[in-house]
Amino acid sequence: MKENKVTPNEMKQEQILQEKARSAEKMHAYAAANSDLNVEKELKRQRVARVIRNIISYAFLTLCAFFAFLPFYWMIISSLKTETEYRASSPTFFPTEFKWANYAAVLQQTSSSGAGFWRMLLNTLVVGIFSTSLGVIVTIVTAYALARMKFSGKNILFAIMLGTMMIPGEMFTITNYITVADLHWNDTYTVLILPFLVSIYYVYLLRNNFMQIPNSLYQAAKVDGLSDFGYLVKVMVPLTAPTLVSITLLKFIGTWNSYIWPRLVNNEEWQMITNWVTNGFSDTSGALYGGQYPLSEPLTTLRMAAVCMVSLPLFILFIFCRKYIMHGVSKSGTKG
Amino acid sequence: MAKKDNIPNDEVKNAAELDDAVVTQDAAVDADLPQESAAEAKPSAGQKIKDWFVSLWDKIKSAFVSERKNEQLALPRELVEKIPPEMLLTDVKLTKKEKVVRFLRSQSGWLFVLPAVLLMCIFTFYPIINAFVSAFKENYNATTHRFDGWGFENFKRVIMSDTGTGGASFVQCLVNTLVFTLVSVPLSTLLALLISVALNSIKPLQKAYQTVLFLPYLTNSLAMGAVFATFFTIIGTSRHVDTYGIVNIMLGWFGVEPIDWVGIGSPTWELGAITIPWAKYVVAIVYEVWSGLPFKILILFSALQSVNKQYYDAAKIDGASRSTVLWKVTAPLISPMISYLLVTGIMGGMKQYSAIVGLFGDQMGFNYDMGTMVGYIYSYIENGKTGYAFAGSVLLFIVIMIITLINTQISKKRVTY
Repeated sequence: MKENKVTPNEMKQEQILQEKARSAEKMHAYAAANSDLNVEKELKRQRVARVIRNIISYAFLTLCAFFAFLPFYWMIISSLKTETEYRASSPTFFPTEFKWANYAAVLQQTSSSGAGFWRMLLNTLVVGIFSTSLGVIVTIVTAYALARMKFSGKNILFAIMLGTMMIPGEMFTITNYITVADLHWNDTYTVLILPFLVSIYYVYLLRNNFMQIPNSLYQAAKVDGLSDFGYLVKVMVPLTAPTLVSITLLKFIGTWNSYIWPRLVNNEEWQMITNWVTNGFSDTSGALYGGQYPLSEPLTTLRMAAVCMVSLPLFILFIFCRKYIMHGVSKSGTKG
Repeated sequence: MAKKDNIPNDEVKNAAELDDAVVTQDAAVDADLPQESAAEAKPSAGQKIKDWFVSLWDKIKSAFVSERKNEQLALPRELVEKIPPEMLLTDVKLTKKEKVVRFLRSQSGWLFVLPAVLLMCIFTFYPIINAFVSAFKENYNATTHRFDGWGFENFKRVIMSDTGTGGASFVQCLVNTLVFTLVSVPLSTLLALLISVALNSIKPLQKAYQTVLFLPYLTNSLAMGAVFATFFTIIGTSRHVDTYGIVNIMLGWFGVEPIDWVGIGSPTWELGAITIPWAKYVVAIVYEVWSGLPFKILILFSALQSVNKQYYDAAKIDGASRSTVLWKVTAPLISPMISYLLVTGIMGGMKQYSAIVGLFGDQMGFNYDMGTMVGYIYSYIENGKTGYAFAGSVLLFIVIMIITLINTQISKKRVTY
């Protein structure tokens, strides 16, 4: 409407676009005049090509989504099949008979030390709750000091902490394994909670978040007579709540999935839910198939039932906290 | 466009008006104030005399004070201690005790980081030093802490695969890890790029597709490894096969003979000292690609969404084909993200362990033929030969450092920022 309002830069771009359009028109006209190219037909052809491209895009994505989802589907239906159906020479894609007894059998089965599903679940929940809450508190306090407080040696400390991120965790694990054996910490919850309480990556993430909060807020709080700790609890924590939720979720998921360390330092009674999945599940009492399968032979359907039970909580968590989890994961993409 | 441009203009106008209003108001206030105060403070005779005495007293006081040049307002000691040192303008003379107190106060940040630092000293810093030291102890016994002297014996034996029976072979594990990583990471990054471009080009259902494609991220790698193994497993005995597994059945449609993908009879290539169990490699790589995709799609898709649309318009007018746009415009624009994904993917791949256990069991295939570097370290922790584990971890560290160096060199040249 009012051309004089357009900034010079925009005008330049406008001009370029107009010139391009003009030359394109000229080209079209030239092509139409000097060959048997039908512009209308060509435009139509390009429109069809676009539709085809869209169809290809959707087909490709559907195929990928199908393969992304297939293992989950296969896991669920396998856990509900009878072992006989599962072993049929041509696989079925939907169970002919729902064998819920698989789940009951898996839940009841205990190992030689008497540790079953419920014990492992209890272990995982206790360790998960303690290591997540303590870990988040330590992370907040450390990140705050690194972001806001002044003390000598801070930068060196931070540099050393970041430097250890380069070193493979297995290097720590060997010595930690020896350390906890020396401390007689084997077969306790402590050994599962303490060594991995501090996650430098989360400290780094949260510190960056804290740094983004303007310093004037800190000075204002100081003037109002708030202590450092009060400022942290009343201002910083509420402001960075989304990141804190992400960290809490990811830390809990990490505990849920931990496998190597518990297996290394604890016996079965003190291990975690993921260790439980690696058990061989078989028809020990003969109640399921009346001895059709040898009592020691691991049955895949039972294993799939166990796998389902370990994966299901993660799914529920994902459905309800999708936003926070994806936020946390993508943060690592831009910040890591 | 013109309308859009008008808005700030109007705002400026409004702001100017407001300013004017403020100024006039201020002027009014200024004008009012003296009148008010004059009206209020109509001094009585007594007040006048009092004021005169006060001013006289001030004059006398200032005369005395000016004589003592360095005199400062003296704050109570306990107040001075609380003021942060950087806020003090003057050089307050402090007693030694007060200096200590002030120093401790300024270091209160250490109190905040103390828990983390203590834990890290025990479980991070000490282990790193210890790993480098202990790798040179010969015949180190983890329970008694005895060893037979210093030397390179551990490294020699680890590299020469001379560690006795029952353990993994280092060279085999290194080759396995490098193959898994160097095949699966570029493959999944490329696939993720294609998927994100497709995802970026559609409008309806975009969110739904994104969510479904992100699902595999939130899985337990051990559990999903077990599920993938069921796709490939042949169940039965040599005489009677119950099922060849879904993959073999599908390959059968194309006339491929059933292959024992994950079992003991899995086909291999022999290359000197190492065996290449290629069928198991395929299974491991398929799994790695599947589990690596979600994170890469998430990152690349958000990178694509932040690309300026004008680049595409320009390319379109220039008549660039779709593949030209993808490789000459899109890929260079998001190359920092691609390089980031390759680096982190390779780092993660070098530490692969639990997925392999999920796929091939505790023994990592048949007698550790699918062992990884991390699996190697754990196998020697478990059978008590800790020295080899230490040496293995130092070697893993060196390998990762070399790869990081190569990565940074390549990305310096290739990445267009």
